Amino acid sequence: LTGARYRADNPSRYPGVDRVKKCFATFFVVALPALIASAQPMADAAFEEQLQYLFPEAKSFSEKEGSPPVYRAYGPASDGKEPELLGLAFWTTELDPLERGYDGPIKMLVGMDTSGILTGVIVTDNREPYGYFSVETPEFAEQFRDKNVRDRFRPGEDVDAISRATVTVTSASRAIRNSARRAARAHLAPPEQ
Amino acid sequence: MRSRIPLSLRLWVSLSAWLGVNGVSAQGETPAADLWNFDDFDDVDPTFLELAADQAPDIILFGVFAIIAMISFLKKSKPLKYLTLVLSVAYLGLYQSHLISITNVLGSLTGTIPLHTETIGFSLLVIFGVVSTVIWGRVYCGRICAFGALTQLIDAIVPARFQLKIPATLERRASYIKYAILFGAIAYYLLTDENSFYRYIEPFWMFSFEASTILWIGVGLLLIASVFVRNLYCRFLCPLGAALGLVSALSIFKIKRWSECSSCAVCENTCEWGAIRQRKIIMPECVRCDDCEILYASKTRCPHWLLKAKKKRLRIS
Repeated sequence: LTGARYRADNPSRYPGVDRVKKCFATFFVVALPALIASAQPMADAAFEEQLQYLFPEAKSFSEKEGSPPVYRAYGPASDGKEPELLGLAFWTTELDPLERGYDGPIKMLVGMDTSGILTGVIVTDNREPYGYFSVETPEFAEQFRDKNVRDRFRPGEDVDAISRATVTVTSASRAIRNSARRAARAHLAPPEQ
Repeated sequence: MRSRIPLSLRLWVSLSAWLGVNGVSAQGETPAADLWNFDDFDDVDPTFLELAADQAPDIILFGVFAIIAMISFLKKSKPLKYLTLVLSVAYLGLYQSHLISITNVLGSLTGTIPLHTETIGFSLLVIFGVVSTVIWGRVYCGRICAFGALTQLIDAIVPARFQLKIPATLERRASYIKYAILFGAIAYYLLTDENSFYRYIEPFWMFSFEASTILWIGVGLLLIASVFVRNLYCRFLCPLGAALGLVSALSIFKIKRWSECSSCAVCENTCEWGAIRQRKIIMPECVRCDDCEILYASKTRCPHWLLKAKKKRLRIS
């Protein structure tokens, strides 16, 4: 009881308290802005890595551009010519924002070459209760590699169905298909048949 | 990842998706720009009827289950109730893994109603669970939920001498833990937009048979504890039960009480859920297990009928 009264009356009797306060103040003034400032380039670098994963041969990527928004992947620039467009990368949540699973949208980064063949899928965010054994597995993303944008993307047919996670897998597949078709329609010419 | 779509729009999308309204999608481009001719070979997404036809066995089996559950409840039949519990564990639990989850409550708060045309059986379960709670109270907890059914079956098999009798005051206090878990979960979800913690506060995922060793150890301990403290999880810990309990405060058909109930404790002592305190029934704790209602109807055990019979005898003599 006396201790409590001392503290209330005269905080400086407890120099330890002041020291803790000083530490907090230093943290908020110096360390926190530094952390926030360093977090952005780190996130950018991680994103660059994801784009590179979808297009291993690409030498450069555009900023997000166009409507619907996509990132363009370019090959090496050779003797003064414009670098060749290798394909597009895009977020399913930006191209098919209303598609939802058990709990909200499933955020995926999709790569597609200029002829409408998917180069890969990266599942970055989801709140699916049974996501951990469906869309979060490497097998899920892997099965979309080399799929044609004209495919059906239907679980049980050309996409592996996972019982107990039907809605999650169906929604994710549909989001990939719809966003890929939307991107193709807006930004690519169909290949000669 | 927080979606920045307005709540009303998200609600509309959930509803329209459920009703099979077409045209709600993000396709913004004009068809004239469609050099790909996706529409020519585009498989139109299956209609509600096509999906329903694919899922006919599940819809029919759930219907049969729901009918058995309702007959057991309305007829107050003990054998049918145990049949319901066994079917629940076997079909809704082990076979389908269809249990309403706290994630459905959390999702509903932000506009994802757990009704999906791809899983009509589960959607019917959700509708059945909510509607029955509004009408009668936590019938869902008492006989539909596969985990509750499992612990009730454990309870029926385990000899009574293993079971610990919890003091009423402690029981009453412990019953509030589930509300703390519910509101804690809601607050955490709204602040962080993160729901993957659900596996640590509810064991329903066990029927999916997919989890880490630590989680399995946790569920093992919970089931062992349920042997000694009956329906431990449902009574004290389940956030979904807490949510349904809050809804059940509104329920239409409550259990009736006689004036004699204030001096008789037969039902209070029989209730395995700690839901009776003298004349009052604590609706959020009651799972409509029928135990007290079977007693009310008993001409040989309920004082109401015994006193009535006695008065009649006196009048005759």
